[in-house]
Amino acid sequence: MTVTTIDSATASRAPDRNFKYWVIAPAIFLLLLVGLFPLVYSLIISFQHLTMTEADTSFVGLKNYAHLFVDTRLWESLLHTVIITVIALPLELVFGMAMAQLFLERMPGRQIFVSLLMLPVVISPIVAGATWRLLLDNRYGPINQIIGWFAGHPMTLLWNVNPNLVYPAIIFCEIWQWTPFMFLILLAALSNVDKSLTEAAEIDGAGYWRVFFKIVLPSIWPVMAIALLIRGLDLVRIFDIIWSLTAGGPGTMTETISIYTYVQGFSQFETSYTAAIAFLVIALLTVIVTWAIRRMGLAK
Amino acid sequence: MSDLKITRLHKRYGLVPAVRGIDLDVPSGEFTVLVGPSGCGKSTLLRMIAGLEEISEGTIEIGGRVVNHVRPRDRDIAMVFQNYALYPYMNVFENIAFGLRARKTPQDEIQKRVKRAAEMLAITGLLDRLPRQLSGGQRQRVAIGRAIVRNAKLFLFDEPLSNLDAQLRDEMRSEIKRLHQELGTTMIYVTHDQIEAMTLADRIVLLKDGLIEQAGTPLDLYERPATRFVAGFLGSPKMNFIPADYVRDGSGAAVKFADGTALALPRGPEGNRPVVFGIRPQHFSRDPGSLSGQAARVRATVELLQPTGSRAFITFPLGGKPIMAELASHDVQGPGESLDLYMDIGRAVLIDPETGRVL
Repeated sequence: MTVTTIDSATASRAPDRNFKYWVIAPAIFLLLLVGLFPLVYSLIISFQHLTMTEADTSFVGLKNYAHLFVDTRLWESLLHTVIITVIALPLELVFGMAMAQLFLERMPGRQIFVSLLMLPVVISPIVAGATWRLLLDNRYGPINQIIGWFAGHPMTLLWNVNPNLVYPAIIFCEIWQWTPFMFLILLAALSNVDKSLTEAAEIDGAGYWRVFFKIVLPSIWPVMAIALLIRGLDLVRIFDIIWSLTAGGPGTMTETISIYTYVQGFSQFETSYTAAIAFLVIALLTVIVTWAIRRMGLAK
Repeated sequence: MSDLKITRLHKRYGLVPAVRGIDLDVPSGEFTVLVGPSGCGKSTLLRMIAGLEEISEGTIEIGGRVVNHVRPRDRDIAMVFQNYALYPYMNVFENIAFGLRARKTPQDEIQKRVKRAAEMLAITGLLDRLPRQLSGGQRQRVAIGRAIVRNAKLFLFDEPLSNLDAQLRDEMRSEIKRLHQELGTTMIYVTHDQIEAMTLADRIVLLKDGLIEQAGTPLDLYERPATRFVAGFLGSPKMNFIPADYVRDGSGAAVKFADGTALALPRGPEGNRPVVFGIRPQHFSRDPGSLSGQAARVRATVELLQPTGSRAFITFPLGGKPIMAELASHDVQGPGESLDLYMDIGRAVLIDPETGRVL
């Protein structure tokens, strides 16, 4: 009796197991088609010598990859990307945190202010960049005019041309646009911190900074780490704001890796070489993201 | 010397008053329990003592010093929270040591004091665990450990047992009582549970609508309630209340119920008036000899029987109201039974139906 029961149970479970694979098969297939195929195809292209004008599909081995190492413009663009990221990311974090702390208190009009503060995030970056270019324009822009009022005489600050001013301008716009994002996420995280924990710590004798670093920060860390990761990756890919402000100029001074890749692919038409750059970026990002996720303890 | 002195304390949230003028003087070493229904202002009062809520009006003195504008950390208090409020990313040792570290206590002193607190609470084996690896009762012990390790002047407990199951609650209750006897520190304890209040307190402060309804020893409040609210709040099952007419004539005092039943009273105030007659379920018996005072006989037809083991609660109508009486289990057979019961009439209370005050 027992034996037959077990038999029938295994018999009825066996087709079940295969069935679920059939059910998810179309989705897997679709994912492979739109995800894996372009990846593999561009990997193949990166070993060829394909340009937009020539359909030469012969393989050139690692030539494109070898060229990456001697392409100083590429490494400079990577350096520009790193500079913008390491300056803008901490500033966005600090400003976002400070604002979130301010708005944590209940106050009249809090919701309206939070919504208003979110406006930059909902603007498309390319539009934001274009708007700031107009605002910073040396002849028609109000910013130079306002600075002129304070200085007492008309100022001609060429924000998108002057080598000393382009980075401050770009980083300012970037921070202006994305601090609210940081702010909103941190505000949500901070308002979820168990209030009795901070109260207990206060009674225990901890001062503001000890409470912040020992109680609040560990509590919001998982959320904050993800916010940092998202913003960090966005900053590495930064394109639109710079494209509309300086288009990478003056010269190639503000050319980031995304802009350089775009220029190689769509104005130099070096299709195969662009594919090689893209794979370099993917490799670098994979290493950094893996390290970051492990370091931040997010994988746990 | 008093450790805590509260004078005309008010707290308003906007226009809504939460505490409406409280005066309280807690002598050194006393275990005071603030008790009352939800919304009576007991937690607000405790949080004001802790410095977690602003004071709208009045003063709070701790150890002879006005602390209205003193930060919580400088008030020399320790507090145990309802949800324990253990720091989730620190192990038990660090949780207990946190306050000592914040106050820059030397390392060997921290070791010594945490160890002693852990021994007192029997949590020495848990010191390297994280809070989430502990059971509710263990967390509660750690929370108490965090409070006692600092030798604060004043201990505040905010409903510390309400998240525990019934058995653990009994256990922790005795534990807290034992701790108070060992440490001799002044403790202020907030609860909505009248049994906790009765068993723990040296003095109960019963709050209602932001005001002190009555304060005194547990037995004081139980036996000599000042108002109907106090009489009804303390004791389980709660006191029976029957509307009645109080009559005083040449032959003595008596109450008459709506159904015509009359009970003679051993004493009573002057004048005839409507009253509410209150009698506790515990003040009924089948044997007049077991009652301490004068007994009044009532005829009871059992409508409902709730046995609890050694005792049984019966419900029967008296003066048109369902009345509960607590008897020994073997004194009653079942519903429908007709019994002669004796009421300890000297312990009944007469309440003014308008003011709610005991006459």
